[in-house]
Amino acid sequence: MSETILITAPLLMKGLWLTIKISMWTVALGSFLGFVIGLIRASRMKILKAALGVYIHCLRGTPFLVQLYLIYFVLPATGVEWLKFEAFPAAVIALSLYTSTYVSEIVRAGIEAVPKGQVEAARALGMSKWQTLGHVILPQALKLMIPPMTGVYVLIIKGTSVVSVIGITELLRAGEQAALRYPSELMTLYGLVALLYFVYCYPVLRLGRWAETKFGRIENSL
Amino acid sequence: MNFLLEFYNYRILAEYIPQFYEGLCTTLKISFVALFGSLAIGTVFACLRLAPNPILWRLAASYVQAIRSTPLLVQIYIIYFALPEIPLLDRRLNELEGGILALALNAGAYMSEIIRAGIQSVARGQVEGAMSLGMTYIQRMRHVVLPQALARVVPPLLGQTAILIKDSSLVSFIGVSELFSAGVTVMTERLIPTEAFVTVALGYLVIYLVLLWASNWAQRRLAGP
Repeated sequence: MSETILITAPLLMKGLWLTIKISMWTVALGSFLGFVIGLIRASRMKILKAALGVYIHCLRGTPFLVQLYLIYFVLPATGVEWLKFEAFPAAVIALSLYTSTYVSEIVRAGIEAVPKGQVEAARALGMSKWQTLGHVILPQALKLMIPPMTGVYVLIIKGTSVVSVIGITELLRAGEQAALRYPSELMTLYGLVALLYFVYCYPVLRLGRWAETKFGRIENSL
Repeated sequence: MNFLLEFYNYRILAEYIPQFYEGLCTTLKISFVALFGSLAIGTVFACLRLAPNPILWRLAASYVQAIRSTPLLVQIYIIYFALPEIPLLDRRLNELEGGILALALNAGAYMSEIIRAGIQSVARGQVEGAMSLGMTYIQRMRHVVLPQALARVVPPLLGQTAILIKDSSLVSFIGVSELFSAGVTVMTERLIPTEAFVTVALGYLVIYLVLLWASNWAQRRLAGP
């Protein structure tokens, strides 16, 4: 048993590294996209708001697996050159779009949790819209966003396991390959894969719980 | 009409209506069974989590944390590939049973957190009132806390149900032919990914919209003060 672990360790570590790489890219891209969408959702741009509402429902209403296939297999079939993705960018883009719907709702809820009176006061002091956002709303809203955001990051890490289906050798696929080589050690190998995911996710979950006691939680969000 | 045929060839798709219909039925069947399983698991673990005995609540808390910090796909693989023979059945779980069990165990952890929040939202005074009437822990849960908590948790539970149905697409990885695998069949046999997966996406979207409507309706009807 320990021998199998030693032999397969490099393969699993390579997989774990790819999982970390995909999730980090997605955290950056998905958070940015979600932040922009959330700002628009909290603003008064009616048509854009409604359009993004449809976007959010479409992404929330379909499994991530289907979205991944749509981006990896269907978009290239349209024949447009820049929509032909390699597996890695396709995975990051699909995960980022999926993540952005969760992030945007958190950002919107965080902004709306700041009392209206403060915005009115800032505007009465002659601050512009952007000044109000930057100096009054965001400093308070960002703190409120941290706890639910950690939940999204755990969701991303777990989501990376699905991209194994388009041929990316991340942690789970590395585990599958190891299990093909040592079928008798199946339980050990999959247990090890689960443990590695746990080691990666659990600190993030704990961080979220710590942030919640420190910064409080947004009422009625999600 | 030719323009539409180029992007979405509904004529080829029409030959596959039985596959899609069967896939949809299987998806709904799996989700329905897993939903009941997860609600049972969720209720039990929520009560354990709130039990005064430290061994019990620590056990429940570790279960929830273990499920929440590992991907569903890994859980499905462990249950389907790695579990040995089940003593009562005298055989290993088949792909359908394994998939349903994994889905129920996974959703159960999330359901238990929702139910726990619902139980804790019941005012402390009510529990104290029940205690002063001499009710036992089981009686307090059964007659005072759970009826109120369940009404409050229905909208988030419906949201979790929507996630469960979406997650059920992952059991296609272990060979259950449900809605998603119907799409895969069409793609591999006819090489038309657009028609295959746009149709699958629409199928899931319709289920989601029905649940969204139900959740909004429940929120209006059950909204507390």
